[in-house]
Amino acid sequence: MSIEPNASCSLTRRELLRRSGMGFAMLGLTGVMADSGRLVAGDAASGDTDAGYKNPLASRLPHFAAKAKRVIHLFMNGGPSHIDTFDPKPSLEKYAGKPLPMPNLATERKTGAAFPSPFKFQKYGESGIEVSELFAHTAQHIDDIAVIRSMHAEVPNHEPSLLLMNCGESRLVRPSMGSWVTYGLGTENLNLPGFIAMVPNGYPIQETQNWQSAFLPGVYQGTYVNTQHAEIDKLVENVKNSWLPADAQRRQLDALAAINKHHKDQHGYDPALDARIHSFELAYGMQREAAEAFDVSREPKHILDSYGEGTQARQILIARRLIERGVRFVQVWHGQGQPWDNHDDIEVNHKKLAGQCDRAIGALISDLKRLGLFEETLIIWGGEFGRTPTVELPQAGANAGKINGRDHNHWGFTTWLAGGGVKGGQTYGSTDEFGFKAVENPVHVHDLHATVLKLLGFDHERLTYRYAGRDFRLTDVHGKVINELIA
Amino acid sequence: MFNSPHFRRAATCIAIAAFAMAWNVGVSRASDAAPAITPEQEKLFEEKIRPLLVANCQECHGSKKQESGLRLDSRDALIEGGDSGQKGVVPGDPDHSLLIKAVNHVGDYQMPPKRKLTTDEITMLTEWVKVGLPWPATHAPTNEKKLSPLELANSHRQSHWAYQPVRRPDAPSIHHPKFSIRNSIDSFTAAKLLDRNLTSSPEADRRTLIRRLSFDLVGLPPTPNEVDAFQTDTSPDAYERLVDRLLASPHFGERWARHWLDVARYGDTKGYAFQQDRRYPYAYTYRDYVIRSFNEDRPYDQFILEQLAADRLPETADDSTRLAAMGFLTVGRRFNDRNNDIDDQIDAVSRGLLGITVACARCHDHKYDAVPTEDYYSLYGIFASCAEPQDLPLIASESALKEMQQSEEYRKYETQLTKLKEEAEKFKTDKHIEFLDQSRRQSADYLAKIAAGDGEALATKLSFMALDPKDLRPRLVERWKQYITQHAKPNDPIWGLWHELSRLKTAEFSDKAPVVISSFAARLPGTATGQCNPLVLAAFTGETVAGPMDVARIYGGLLTDVIDRWKSLGGNTDTLTKLADDTRQLVEILVGDDALTHVDRNDTRQYFNRADRNKYQELQKKADSFVANSAFAPPRAMVVADNPKPTEPRVLIRGNPARPGNVVPRQFLLVVAGNERQPFNNGSGRLELAKSIASPDNPLTRRVIVNRLWMHHFGEPLVMSPSDFGIRCEPPSHPELLDSLANDLLESDWSLKAIHRQLVCSATYRQASLDRPDCRTADPENRLLWRMNRRRLEFEAARDTLLAVSGQLDQSMFGRAVEITKSPFPRRRAVYGFIDRQDLPNLYRVFDLASPDSSSPRRPRTTVPQQALFLMNSPFVIEQAKTLAAKPAVANSTDDATKIAALYREVFNRSPDNEELFIGRDYLTAATPSDATKLSALEQYAQLLLLANEVMYVD
Repeated sequence: MSIEPNASCSLTRRELLRRSGMGFAMLGLTGVMADSGRLVAGDAASGDTDAGYKNPLASRLPHFAAKAKRVIHLFMNGGPSHIDTFDPKPSLEKYAGKPLPMPNLATERKTGAAFPSPFKFQKYGESGIEVSELFAHTAQHIDDIAVIRSMHAEVPNHEPSLLLMNCGESRLVRPSMGSWVTYGLGTENLNLPGFIAMVPNGYPIQETQNWQSAFLPGVYQGTYVNTQHAEIDKLVENVKNSWLPADAQRRQLDALAAINKHHKDQHGYDPALDARIHSFELAYGMQREAAEAFDVSREPKHILDSYGEGTQARQILIARRLIERGVRFVQVWHGQGQPWDNHDDIEVNHKKLAGQCDRAIGALISDLKRLGLFEETLIIWGGEFGRTPTVELPQAGANAGKINGRDHNHWGFTTWLAGGGVKGGQTYGSTDEFGFKAVENPVHVHDLHATVLKLLGFDHERLTYRYAGRDFRLTDVHGKVINELIA
Repeated sequence: MFNSPHFRRAATCIAIAAFAMAWNVGVSRASDAAPAITPEQEKLFEEKIRPLLVANCQECHGSKKQESGLRLDSRDALIEGGDSGQKGVVPGDPDHSLLIKAVNHVGDYQMPPKRKLTTDEITMLTEWVKVGLPWPATHAPTNEKKLSPLELANSHRQSHWAYQPVRRPDAPSIHHPKFSIRNSIDSFTAAKLLDRNLTSSPEADRRTLIRRLSFDLVGLPPTPNEVDAFQTDTSPDAYERLVDRLLASPHFGERWARHWLDVARYGDTKGYAFQQDRRYPYAYTYRDYVIRSFNEDRPYDQFILEQLAADRLPETADDSTRLAAMGFLTVGRRFNDRNNDIDDQIDAVSRGLLGITVACARCHDHKYDAVPTEDYYSLYGIFASCAEPQDLPLIASESALKEMQQSEEYRKYETQLTKLKEEAEKFKTDKHIEFLDQSRRQSADYLAKIAAGDGEALATKLSFMALDPKDLRPRLVERWKQYITQHAKPNDPIWGLWHELSRLKTAEFSDKAPVVISSFAARLPGTATGQCNPLVLAAFTGETVAGPMDVARIYGGLLTDVIDRWKSLGGNTDTLTKLADDTRQLVEILVGDDALTHVDRNDTRQYFNRADRNKYQELQKKADSFVANSAFAPPRAMVVADNPKPTEPRVLIRGNPARPGNVVPRQFLLVVAGNERQPFNNGSGRLELAKSIASPDNPLTRRVIVNRLWMHHFGEPLVMSPSDFGIRCEPPSHPELLDSLANDLLESDWSLKAIHRQLVCSATYRQASLDRPDCRTADPENRLLWRMNRRRLEFEAARDTLLAVSGQLDQSMFGRAVEITKSPFPRRRAVYGFIDRQDLPNLYRVFDLASPDSSSPRRPRTTVPQQALFLMNSPFVIEQAKTLAAKPAVANSTDDATKIAALYREVFNRSPDNEELFIGRDYLTAATPSDATKLSALEQYAQLLLLANEVMYVD
């Protein structure tokens, strides 16, 4: 039989149906595809029977037509302050240095008096949404951004909140949003990983759990890329051969293909053998394509200039290059550990952090628009929670003892969405007068997930995977779609 | 219509009045029993109440969803209520009806969540409840009798195949020229094939068979010499002798341990551990135990008993390593949450050993299977009654330990460890002393805190003002609060004055305080009730008392003074007796075992502030990391032990620890043990649980394990979901065969090797794997086994094979894990590779390794380019290729053809054919070395052979 172009990442149909050996483990996915009127990509064309191999990463249609095809998740890990960025609270001025007229909500640590934002806010765009000077570049696109000001999570600690935001569950081991999306949609470019998590300098808190595939097959796990490096072989494992130049390796692979073909001729029909043969060709392609995708020096100068200098600018530009090449889900973490976690010196630190990424985020949106990709790309911006409107009090071992930072705040915070079918130019929901707690139209993280999946064309209750006797989903038994956010 | 925004309020009021009256037509009483409903009521219900319930409630509380276990679509369900345990409605009594409270937003619930019902709607519901909740009988949601969870479980128990006793099916008698029948397995498979007019495949050739057997049984390729020997062995039992040799190989245990470790969700780390050392320094002792058990053919029932309860088994002299078996319970991920840790244990035991998905019943009765939520908590109670001891038991034999202790390195290890542990302990002791002293001298701060009251705002303000709040310990604040509540009584000799002053209002404070103080001056000086401790009075003399903060300051100052006095006299318990009564009374508030500020040394940690805690953890981590890094730490077993007092488990409603429900006994699963089951009463019940699982009467245990063995030998299991034999699983392809094997296991005294032998000696196993298009059309998935399945090597076998072929494999067994993905690459077998579940090497995931986060029934099998990249480009593979090319048999050959032949012999255990020779020669001669090329043509060629499908697939 002939080699299918995308037979290379393969499972038998039976394995698709019974991955993990769990009976109908993949029924969720087949459900997805049956509903969309298609089985696994390539199925009809190849006329394969049940024993045929299917590509677990092959591009697939979701439950219903949707604008968003890809996701860039800009993860401000550590918890950016909504009060200093996208949720202005002038009332804090009145109480500056004094107790709020309401009790401070319990957060991780003790907080004290009201602490107005040191940053200036102004209205942007036709929508007139107020954004702080920290994100002035981003704000140029405010009419395309839906600012959710009423996000809330469950606890004021990084670990559970990171897992909740990424995997929809605070403690137990569950697949990440990126792996769910890749499982549901496959990827559009088999020469690159379908789900890439970029973090300069090392892991965030909770490490690789943030992009884990858990019980979903390993192919759906995020591929970690340390964007501190610029050299391709340090970015993607084994993507470069340090012993052979390309032409020598080509010859080597040609000989391998000849030997494998000879072997196959003697063994008769076996799509698994074909798939593995083809995987070497794909790998060869990946070497070139990955090197290209991560090499921002190929961009023209004016584009490089528009993103600005530094690691953030580079990795946000890489995100665009990956999305452009059909990578399904790209997560851009601000940095190792928890950079936005400013318990002290929030003014200095937030300014520095926003300064590293704001310009590039603005450029990213412009760039996607220019390339006609904005409407197909869902951008998510946010952290695992926000920060308190009250100042954090000094506590030995907890902070540097300065009284000029904010504590974690899971009661209320901001996440924004843009592109991919999002109804921009609006704020949705609100926190109380001081920004402590989401009060109007509160949006739980589960609701955000349900909405993101909807934007990608999924009914979050039907994107399921059977494992250990249960049909699991990203939103567990929760989540409601916020239709107001969808154009 | 009541939801219509256009509905005018005035009109509604009139309607409501009429409505309320209408309910009363012909109504006699309100009670739980459904009142007879009048036609008028029915009409009102259908027009007003039902639409209200449907529109506002039933989306979440109806037939599709039952949030919080509540349904609002039948009268009975409404009365019964949900998980809260309270009645949803008390007919006739709206004031005590949760439904009415909820719609009024009074109490715990505020429903519906999206909007509050209008006043009129609420009134309507209230009236309806008041008249007794009339509900038309014909509209009950279902007429079928709803089975209770227990009844349902029992019904499944009696009907589902996997819950029936294992039968002893007779092997069908097959006499057919096309079938070779070597043992009963073949009769069963032949019968199925004949039913479909299919035949089995002929036996594979000898080279294929020895490669197949070697990979299946030991996970390594045969050596060229072994292949030669087998190919030329003409004795009739050559095959069986080969099987016996491989089963006896120490590598057998290494191969099969890895399969079991997937089930046991084995890992060398806890998962996310923040500031602790995340490693399990002794997880390897469990892995080694499994390897030994398989090599020694430990009976499977014994294997189970030891893994769950080695500590409760009668002592045997022969095996000191047995305790390590309990790693099965403890090597899983840790969640920093006891309930989740227990859930992981329940899951590993129930799916891993029994093929039942019990963990699904954590929050509610299993949606599909015969597991009521009570059964989950029965098992929960067993594991909740156990704990891991602080010091894990040593498992080295005495002689081994003695020998170890002789060595200089070991003594160094011990000295260093003792030093590190002492540092941590010394820190704790120092902190304890410092803490006691500090908290005794800090009374003023705590009292100020209390004087400030609970008002958060004032407390906040305070923190800005006088105090250095970093050293106030919340727990101590609580104790002070309690103390003051208990002692601040009007007649208390010390706190009477405090009490009276605390009652003064702010505005009048300055004026009235002197009056209060002089009233106490009028009391008798002394230490008895009703008197006034003269030192208290003296402390107030000459002081300005303008508010509660002054009172706190003065009391605090006094306490500090007396403590100083006590300290100057020696500061110990004896000194107390030297003090005057009034002084002693004050000192005793803060000194002594019952004193307010007393903290036991062992509890010091609870009073650590963040900085202390960080420091202490850092010191502990130093010791832990030292142990984890040291080759001289003697082996210990990761055991659990029964708590002195077992837990009486309660059902946690919706899995929520804050919502305990009924008490349940610790006992086995209903679906297996039946209605006659008895509560466990031997300690935690762990041993009884183990015995129930390892019982010959258990219908699941043996079926589950023989299915797992079958899967690994044949590539596909008989039951497609190896860890879920529940009612939603696909029935076995060969039910009689499954039972027959389960029987054989019992008859061979639970010997797994006996089953292995039987499987691999069958003609079914010995078939060729070649495609047969006609059979493929009839049975594309080869469920009926008309051929052997061709299988790809898993990561471990593939990697070990590369090492074996290059001659680099380090065959040493057991011991601490090695990081096989890091250069310089350890050459030990992959089963000894370090598994950091928190940072699993990408390579592992790329090659489908089982996730170590929960018991894995079966690995996914994917083919992705990242796998190819590893083989093409990784330094590890290049290293093997170079070594292979340098093997004397290859390197010393004089011409290309001999080199090629030598490589084929090493890599494929055969000679190349003409075409292969041609490809090889062409490659070797045409390769032009260039500066950029760092591999010789021969090395490149050796590498590409290692990448070939023939290496990675087992025919």
